[in-house]
Amino acid sequence: MEEEQKNTDENPLKVNRRHFFSQLSVGIGSLALGSLLIPDLFKTGAETVATQPLGIPHFAPKAKRVIYLFQAGAPSQFETFDHKPTLRKRMGEDLPDSVRNGQRLTGMTSEQESFPLMPPAVGFKQYGQAGSWISDFFPHIGKIADDICIIRSMHTEAINHDPAITFFQTGSQQSGRPSMGSWMSYGLGSENKNLPSFVVLTSRGKGNSQGLYSKLWSSGFLDSKHQGVLLRSGKDPVLYLNDPDGLSRSDKRHLLDHVSSLNKLHHVETGDDEIESRIAQYEMAYRMQMSVPDVMDISKEPQSIIDLYGEDCQVPGTYAANALQARRLAENGVRFIQLYHQGWDQHGNLHNEMMGQAKDVDQASAALVMDLKQRGMLEDTLVIWGGEFGRSNYCQGKFDPTNYGRDHHPRAFSIWMAGGGIKPGMNYGQTDEFGYNIVENPVHINDFHATLMHTLGLDHEQMIYKHQGRRFRLTDVAGNVIKDLLA
Amino acid sequence: MAVTPKNRWVDYGIFGLSLFLVFCLIFDSYIELPALVAWLGKWHPLLLHFPIVLLLIAIFLGLTGRSIPRNLLIVAVVSTLLTAISGFFLGKEGGTKGELLQWHQWLGGALALIAVFWYGLYTWQLGQKAYTKVLQVVLLVLVGFTGHYGGMVTHGEDFLALPRPKRPEKLPENPLIYEDVVGMILDNNCVSCHNTNKQKGGLLMTNLGSLLKGGDVGNTVVPGDAENSELIKRLHLPKEDKEHMPPDGKKPLNDNEVRILEKWIALGASDTLRLNDLGEQEPLVALIEGLMQPDPMEKWAKLPEVADSTLQNLSSDYVTINRVASGSRALSVSAFNPPEYDPAMITDLQRIATNIVELDISGLPIGSEEMAFVAQCVNLEWLEVDQTPITDAQVANFKTLTNLELLKIYETQISDQSIDIFKSLTKLKRLYLWQTGITEAAITNLQRDRPSLLIDSGIDESAKIFFAATDSISQTEKE
Repeated sequence: MEEEQKNTDENPLKVNRRHFFSQLSVGIGSLALGSLLIPDLFKTGAETVATQPLGIPHFAPKAKRVIYLFQAGAPSQFETFDHKPTLRKRMGEDLPDSVRNGQRLTGMTSEQESFPLMPPAVGFKQYGQAGSWISDFFPHIGKIADDICIIRSMHTEAINHDPAITFFQTGSQQSGRPSMGSWMSYGLGSENKNLPSFVVLTSRGKGNSQGLYSKLWSSGFLDSKHQGVLLRSGKDPVLYLNDPDGLSRSDKRHLLDHVSSLNKLHHVETGDDEIESRIAQYEMAYRMQMSVPDVMDISKEPQSIIDLYGEDCQVPGTYAANALQARRLAENGVRFIQLYHQGWDQHGNLHNEMMGQAKDVDQASAALVMDLKQRGMLEDTLVIWGGEFGRSNYCQGKFDPTNYGRDHHPRAFSIWMAGGGIKPGMNYGQTDEFGYNIVENPVHINDFHATLMHTLGLDHEQMIYKHQGRRFRLTDVAGNVIKDLLA
Repeated sequence: MAVTPKNRWVDYGIFGLSLFLVFCLIFDSYIELPALVAWLGKWHPLLLHFPIVLLLIAIFLGLTGRSIPRNLLIVAVVSTLLTAISGFFLGKEGGTKGELLQWHQWLGGALALIAVFWYGLYTWQLGQKAYTKVLQVVLLVLVGFTGHYGGMVTHGEDFLALPRPKRPEKLPENPLIYEDVVGMILDNNCVSCHNTNKQKGGLLMTNLGSLLKGGDVGNTVVPGDAENSELIKRLHLPKEDKEHMPPDGKKPLNDNEVRILEKWIALGASDTLRLNDLGEQEPLVALIEGLMQPDPMEKWAKLPEVADSTLQNLSSDYVTINRVASGSRALSVSAFNPPEYDPAMITDLQRIATNIVELDISGLPIGSEEMAFVAQCVNLEWLEVDQTPITDAQVANFKTLTNLELLKIYETQISDQSIDIFKSLTKLKRLYLWQTGITEAAITNLQRDRPSLLIDSGIDESAKIFFAATDSISQTEKE
């Protein structure tokens, strides 16, 4: 009985989506004619007006967009936000088996005979009204302690980078599912029709990096219009977006109109929805030729903003430049802005590498939050900062307090969030004195996704896409909204 | 007496309907109704009045020893059968049947079949025997109980209960957590079955003492330990579970309510604790403040209806109109700067002005025409006019925006003249006001006048200096 109910819930949704697209393509394709014709002319008798088009939240949202500052490679919680003085006191001692409790290890440390505890490579200070502990690598983030919510009890199942980052981005360790940005684009629709609703910006620090693959921003089985668009640094932010020399904009318009009418014929023949996506994407690209250079141009940003994000923000391709870009994209109604900063995989030389990595991101991340705040955008923009898992409290390789690294650790790690209906100035969750296991308020990745969707006004149990005879959700069959995090 | 052919058809009809009813009742779980048949069920609330009245008349005549007209009995019995069958159809509508509905169904079925049996006795001229009277009394009782259970199914289990003293709808300023908040939740959801008259499971929930004492199971509320409190356990059970509270057929508590009860118990289930005693970090504060605020969806329900087609027609590549949430009449509008700006793009939205609760026209080269339109959006709660050429004269129009809660007006040319307008917007909670012509003295003055208003006057100078002073040339690898 319930099963049937779900089916009927899903079917009208599907019809509406098609309907929505057909309206969109018809409307845009005949842009030139549009003003001369009666809008109702396009509505044939068979089409009924969509009663519940997709692209609106299930309930009134707190957040309208997300900026995800992904720290790829997994920054160590012991040098960022999880202050563990015990590790300093017991430096060099073997991690007690009762703490490790059978946790599987990566191939890199599983052969190790001992697991000597390593102290934090840097000091910690308390910031803000809640007295949040933040490492000295991040003095700027310390300044925004009252605006962020630090979660020290994240956990995941994956222990290697690729499955872990895929899990974070798609809700599954195996690749192939839609990225969370694509899910949000699917669920919320676009705010500005001249820009993609899901944009990706990447940068790379000098630290040890892992690969980033475009599958992380793939739309999976969702319509390809929800795919993340990678904005590159340099002359052509979007590849192949610009027209060849000598092609005027009106010629381009004619070309698109003709291609679109041919595509529509083909669509009538085959009924393939992807053709409609293609038409919509051509039109979007046409408008992006105007809108993207506009958004990417930071020449009008005042010196105070440059100072805030740091000199680096004028250098395309840096994290700081991307952070500033993220604010500009958010202002222009991009729903999901995904930054990746590579280089956080400190298996060795942790102190120096992390110092460099932190220098890349500390000021710009804090500047972004402050900038959003003064623009009142923290009210409806959710900022997330974090990696794909944590790092071990013990040393990888031989014990050497002057130069050491940390292996992967999935059982506990720290991230922070700000704005978008998340409670500011809060510390959530706790790990044991070794920072190894969570002792209070664990937050699984599924819970994280559910909570994020909740702030966007989406019920993670209701946003379902049926593919190959099976219903899919970003949170699949798990996940609870962590209400304590909500403001 | 010889039975005439006409009567025989009536007999067949009644017999047939009875068989059908028995079939329905037995094979209940296997039956899935076609839509049209399910629709017949909708007639149940209309039909049911006939058997009640007709049976009661017939029973009255029978019990007082008068003769019962045959036609009356026929109509009474047939209408009873039809009511029972249509009721069965209606009952299939809601998925799993609750306990109340099961009782109603079987009582109704029994009533109909016993009425048929009575008709049989009557037809066989056995109508005046003593046991017929017993039968009539049984029918009388059945009519009463079936009707009462039906009433409970539709109007709630306590529909006949005496009115309880009503609570004030609004929470007081600094509520007592137990008395005002927890008590309200319990009153609304639990007390109808756990009161002095009706004490299900031996549990009384009208005062803290008896809550702590618990019911037959015990440990109803364990101060400081929500997880082991029977009350919380029951609330968290799956809805299908027999032990789940409130029981089947009653509105379950919403997440917010459950969490308030949880936190209150976790904090020691005190009856003297007040909202202001709690630290700002305590999640209970936000939960209760959530209760004190009106549900936005409810507030917007009074807005005029607006069709999707209207929204589609008014939307363009540079104007996005969204419903705030699915099915809501409240609209959120964002406009973006097109290559060639035309004021009509904003003023065309006139038709939906009263529906707009969020409007973002920041960065547009807007003039007085558009600002006059903004002043007509009287339900606006969120307005972004930052980075526009807005003037003080245009801001003066905003006095109509009495619902405004958030205003972004930074990077504009407005001056101290606009301060009075901001003061008059009594619902205004947050104001983003930097890089304008407004003097610091005016801002201080505004803040003094409206202490609870959150004025953001840009990034703090000391932070700016700190950020500017740091060397940020990082080591980002250039690709």
